[in-house]
Amino acid sequence: MNKSLAPLKLAVVGHTNVGKTSLLRTLTRDVGFGAISHRPSTTQHVEGARLSVDGEALIELYDTPGFEDAVALYEYIEQLPRSGERLDGPELIERFLSSSEARQRFEQEAKVLRQLLQSDAGFYVIDAREPVLAKYRDELAILAMCGKPLLPVLNFVNSSEQRESAWREVLARLGLHAVVRFDTITPPVDGEQRLYENLSLVLDSQRPRLQRLIDYNQAQVQVRRSAGYRLIAELLIDISACRRSVHPDRLEQAIQELHNDVRQREQRCVEALLKLYAFRKDDAHANALPLEEGRWGDDLFNPATMKQFGVKVGGGMAAGAATGVGIDLMTGGLSLGMATVVGAAVGGLTQTFRNYGDRLKGKWRGERELTVNDSTLRLLAIRQQRLLNALELRGHAAQEQIQMETPQEQHWRKGELAQPLITARAYSAWSSLNGRKPQQDTERTQAVESLASNLIQQHTTP
Amino acid sequence: MTDALSPLQTLWLCETVRLREEHTGLLEDSEACRIARATQGSLTERLQVRGLFLAKRDGLITALEHWLQGAKLALWLFIFSAIISGVVLAKTALSGTPLAINIFWALAGLIGLNLVSLLAWCFSMLFSKHTSSPLSHAWLWLSNKLARDAKAAQLAPALLVLLQRHNLLRWGLGRVLHGWWLITLCTACLTLIALLATRRYGFVWESTIVASDSFVMLVSSLGSPAAWLGFAVPDSELIQRSGLHALEDEHARHIWASWLLGMLLIYGIVPRLLCSLLCEWRWRYGVKRLRLNADDPVWQMFQQRVQPSSERLGVVDVAPATLPVSTAGAQLSGHAAVLLGIELDDSIDWPPQLPAQVVDAGIIDTREQRRSMLEQLSANPPARLLIACNPQRSADRGTLHLIAELSRTAAHTQIWLLPTEAADERLNNWQEQLDILKLPHHRAAPWAWLEHGDE
Repeated sequence: MNKSLAPLKLAVVGHTNVGKTSLLRTLTRDVGFGAISHRPSTTQHVEGARLSVDGEALIELYDTPGFEDAVALYEYIEQLPRSGERLDGPELIERFLSSSEARQRFEQEAKVLRQLLQSDAGFYVIDAREPVLAKYRDELAILAMCGKPLLPVLNFVNSSEQRESAWREVLARLGLHAVVRFDTITPPVDGEQRLYENLSLVLDSQRPRLQRLIDYNQAQVQVRRSAGYRLIAELLIDISACRRSVHPDRLEQAIQELHNDVRQREQRCVEALLKLYAFRKDDAHANALPLEEGRWGDDLFNPATMKQFGVKVGGGMAAGAATGVGIDLMTGGLSLGMATVVGAAVGGLTQTFRNYGDRLKGKWRGERELTVNDSTLRLLAIRQQRLLNALELRGHAAQEQIQMETPQEQHWRKGELAQPLITARAYSAWSSLNGRKPQQDTERTQAVESLASNLIQQHTTP
Repeated sequence: MTDALSPLQTLWLCETVRLREEHTGLLEDSEACRIARATQGSLTERLQVRGLFLAKRDGLITALEHWLQGAKLALWLFIFSAIISGVVLAKTALSGTPLAINIFWALAGLIGLNLVSLLAWCFSMLFSKHTSSPLSHAWLWLSNKLARDAKAAQLAPALLVLLQRHNLLRWGLGRVLHGWWLITLCTACLTLIALLATRRYGFVWESTIVASDSFVMLVSSLGSPAAWLGFAVPDSELIQRSGLHALEDEHARHIWASWLLGMLLIYGIVPRLLCSLLCEWRWRYGVKRLRLNADDPVWQMFQQRVQPSSERLGVVDVAPATLPVSTAGAQLSGHAAVLLGIELDDSIDWPPQLPAQVVDAGIIDTREQRRSMLEQLSANPPARLLIACNPQRSADRGTLHLIAELSRTAAHTQIWLLPTEAADERLNNWQEQLDILKLPHHRAAPWAWLEHGDE
């Protein structure tokens, strides 16, 4: 393979417990990579991960054990040259690696140095909360001997005890001017982009390749977003179209069943979104999501939840058991309103008539119709959008930020429901909650797509 | 069979699998994804490999064969029905008294229904985003029934969704619809010729309210396009005379028959032929350019599975069985009590208020400080050494090694973990590590011990 086509090898190095594995997890979006703990020496091996774009391997990242014994190692390396001998940095490191101490006391450090020598560059991860101790200076001095470009990555910069300026000063004295702030727990939105841009400052020949990775990551954000909104649109259409005929005697029970089914349907959407953003319930980042154990803590049909999300509880809505459900008593579902009828007429006529036929039959038998009311739809829309936003920021948004009002949410609270949702009210066949497979007709697909693009538009032009 | 799949069939199968997964949850696809990843192809190829693998595994390919057989059978039935309809159409048009066929009833019977259906199709093309006619749907329904395979039921919706997404549905269904009408009309035309050739028909026109002048104009203007193709158009005198009674003269019969055939050709067959060609062209063009659009959000779910943007490479340098450990030690005797700080930063006020007999040895951080301190202590071993550490820092091997080395220079060593606000995990780790070194440690300074040697 051509040298320029071989993936760029990057070693992630640094003191123990500074978040090297966390950085790798964030960059690879692989929450299961390696092991993370507060104990030192959690990672004792070198483990790799490959980043690919369009199937082409661009970067190989290597997680290394922590550097722990730098002061003693520096002393040891200093006495390695025989008298009269002059060795440069890489030669000194090679000499050290062939010594027996590299297999005994300094075995972990030897692993790091060996990996860095084989790599094109290294990310030097720094816990910015630490004071610049002598051992860190020695560590940097030893790593610098490898003769590979190093890009310092300041982790935990969002902490109150960070000493970023002291670190920057020391790094500048060592000639390391390109420094990236990258908090692995709460990474900035453009964090990855800045990381790779800074890397291309120290690795100029790799600029096109890194730019490709940046572009790819940015495109992926868009792709994930539209897939996410499509999932939400599916959920909303599914629930909006839900319509059940029940005998008045079974009303109470049917409402409970409907509640449960809607809750489950929402949970399915939550799980699909988590999967889309490669989250796991027990993931460290998941703490920053507005979820508890991978589900929404507040019950969908609790009026307090509606209040909390700022959704007006509908005027005619009964409190208690029937919360969030519309019960059509008088007309057997024929009181859909003009907007729905117009919306329905756009779709196929036969289907509309079949639909009304079923309803008329239900009316004949004296049945009641259950639907999920507008307030619940609004609440669902707002909740799922909040989740998507939180997922996009990957825990970046702290709790108070998630609670923030967005114009998008205001729209869902007060504005009219989107037309596809109103249309869906007339098509019970579109819903998977009616005991049948949803009809995959073009009208449904179009309704989902137009609602999804509606949501994306709201996202991008708030 | 797999090799013989056309691009349309491949996409169709992939779409079927996708729809299934959308409704019933993801399938177990680890093997499929592994094979897809092994192809090293583009994302589109990988998605197709995965889709095909799952389709084959779940018997969808056989179902597709059955469906296609069913569709072929349905198509033959359709052609047959078109031929019958054509014959019936022509026969009905010329039914009644053979010697006085109402020319306009015959014309309306021949092309009336066709024109209505054609107009409806054009109308839906212009004003609706999706066109479907009962006829084309009947064919799909019939194909489903004739496939006699339960799995085939999943195929038809997938085909519709697929074609709709690529804007091919109207052309595909249009092909069927126009094809049917074309066959019907051609059969009708042939039947008409056969009837006209073997029987004697006389043509009249009748009206109670329409003036004969308007009639003349109508007949000649309708007939003029056919006239360019060489069909006869009755002149005004002939028309006027036909209005009175069916003409006995052979020439008039020829002219009317020719006019009728011309009308059928121009207003029946030709428009359908053009529409058929248009649909066929759009269809072929579309099918040729049919690709799985991997950027479509519907495929996003599978993208990372067949083409992960990050893959684990595994461990390239294994962890040692044990990490090197330090062991503490002690001198037999020593003099004085010494307090020493390790790696304390300026946020800590140092040294604290010391009892009189305690010597403050300062803070050691750098290599040089370490070396000189160790030399100093080895030369004058202290009786009691208290080492102060900040538990906010992590207890790394280097620091522990230094503590162990320092402990070997003194008769008794204890550790003071400064009462700073440290994370519980870090503090616990310090305590565990010091327990392993068998060195006593405290959060509060053991001044009594340091001064007098007793706890």
